[in-house]
Amino acid sequence: MNPSVQSTPLNGWHRQHNAHMAVFAGYEMPLWYPAGAVTEHLSVITHAGIFDTAHMASVLITGPDAFHLLQYAFSRDLNRWNGKPGNPMPTGRCVYGVFLNHAGEVIDDTVIYRFAEDCFMAVVNAGIGQVIFSHLCACRSRLDVDIRDLTNTIGKMDIQGPLSANILMRVLKDPESRLKKMMYFGFKGSIEPFFCHGEPVKLINGIPVVLSRTGYTGEFGFELFVRSEDLLPAWEMIHQAGLEFQVQPCGLAARDSLRTGAVLPLSHQDIGSWPFIRNPWLMALPFQPGESGFTKHFIGEAVLLAEKDADYTCPFAGFDPRKIETEKAVVSDPEGNRIGRVLSCTTDMAISRHNDRIVSTASPDKPEGFRPKGLCCGFVKVNRPLPEGGIVHLDDGRRTIRVRIEKNIRPDRTARCMMEKMISR
Amino acid sequence: MKEISELNLPKNILYTKDHEWIDTTSDPMRVGISDYAQDQLGEIVFVELPEAGTSRNRGDQFGTVESVKAVSETFMPVGGEVININTDLSDRPELMNESPYEKGWMMEIRVTDPEELKTLMDRDAYRKFLEGIR
Repeated sequence: MNPSVQSTPLNGWHRQHNAHMAVFAGYEMPLWYPAGAVTEHLSVITHAGIFDTAHMASVLITGPDAFHLLQYAFSRDLNRWNGKPGNPMPTGRCVYGVFLNHAGEVIDDTVIYRFAEDCFMAVVNAGIGQVIFSHLCACRSRLDVDIRDLTNTIGKMDIQGPLSANILMRVLKDPESRLKKMMYFGFKGSIEPFFCHGEPVKLINGIPVVLSRTGYTGEFGFELFVRSEDLLPAWEMIHQAGLEFQVQPCGLAARDSLRTGAVLPLSHQDIGSWPFIRNPWLMALPFQPGESGFTKHFIGEAVLLAEKDADYTCPFAGFDPRKIETEKAVVSDPEGNRIGRVLSCTTDMAISRHNDRIVSTASPDKPEGFRPKGLCCGFVKVNRPLPEGGIVHLDDGRRTIRVRIEKNIRPDRTARCMMEKMISR
Repeated sequence: MKEISELNLPKNILYTKDHEWIDTTSDPMRVGISDYAQDQLGEIVFVELPEAGTSRNRGDQFGTVESVKAVSETFMPVGGEVININTDLSDRPELMNESPYEKGWMMEIRVTDPEELKTLMDRDAYRKFLEGIR
């Protein structure tokens, strides 16, 4: 292996389990295990899957002015939790948003965790910890704040899928009280010496974890943060406990197809060095009601408000599993006019079209004997607004596929399901 | 990925450098992709096949095989007319992974010029060829 390629603490485990490995963002990561990406994708929708996400980076922001720095550098209004003025983000909650530059372009997307009044963690993409660290240092001016890049010191894994809570019931100390009332985008626990707030959450072997009801698949599940040296024993324990629930280790291919079907962007691919506007993720911006302006001042706001020529990013789904190569593909309208390019294109193998709607293998009202054939799906970036239901053609020089602009792709996702309902499954 | 020694390479069929196979003992002759090809592609999720009754020359594209990873074209091992296609593959494309020489065959062709079969590789030659590209 190239010495500049990094690995996570689970690298040896992946190899022992014959994962097909590839380098992603500077880390050697599993693409899929011998079960294959289709099985992995379906497991997360019907049972549960575990993902090595230790390649992702965390940045710790602490001090009296930590809140003010994030209000300026991060896209969400942390003073308006749930949109209500004078209602700051509570501790034990986290929020999705983006770090923009002064041109309104995405440096990275992130989930910000609030551990205490003056203690926040930004979880960013692989290899971006240093970038965000430097960016925040450049923005801090005279603010009284301490910024630390925790890259490779925090271990992280995700467990995703409807049976995730049932599996965690087997490995958590005092599981009922820990999982009870855990809301979507809520978290519990602490890891000394990085965050020492709140009640500890521990695995039955004593490993301290931060347990977060979040994820990148659109399905019910959790992200677990541990000390880097605790990641392998935590992973092995959860894998072992999950076997009776048919838990499946999952690679990057399943992660990519699950997140696309859930209409979640991949940073540096679906969002990136163009203005963050006219896309499906505008909930990450602090719009005033009516979208006339913003509720706070933040980096990039002026460009976004003035922007008149930006492209439109739209989700799409095809009519069968056939995909195209994104790098070469152009988007055309039905009259043959080139209108843009393809950002992501993958296949969600859990869905099919049936009577003019998309049905998932998880849909309660799926037709009898339903067997999903898969639909290609992804995002296009085009020079005009496209209505839901509009048809465009994607051509990569080898083939042309016809796709439909969608608002939602994979229906009946479980991410927001009530915890009580999921534990009793 | 399978090691070359792990590959299933039947000896009664001929192989191409693009990893198709043709069974010269059947009539019409069956065509598919090799165990090596399906292993390289990963899970196959969609197959496009030609229409029966159409003819193609040696080396012409006759179909595409779509996997989780990529899209690959398949090429005529020899020129001929398509007599039958494996319609089971439209519902169960994974048959090409599970059974590349039996249930996962792609089409049956009537060969135009049997002399063209002499340009193909037998099992031993194909194995040597695979060792060379690994």
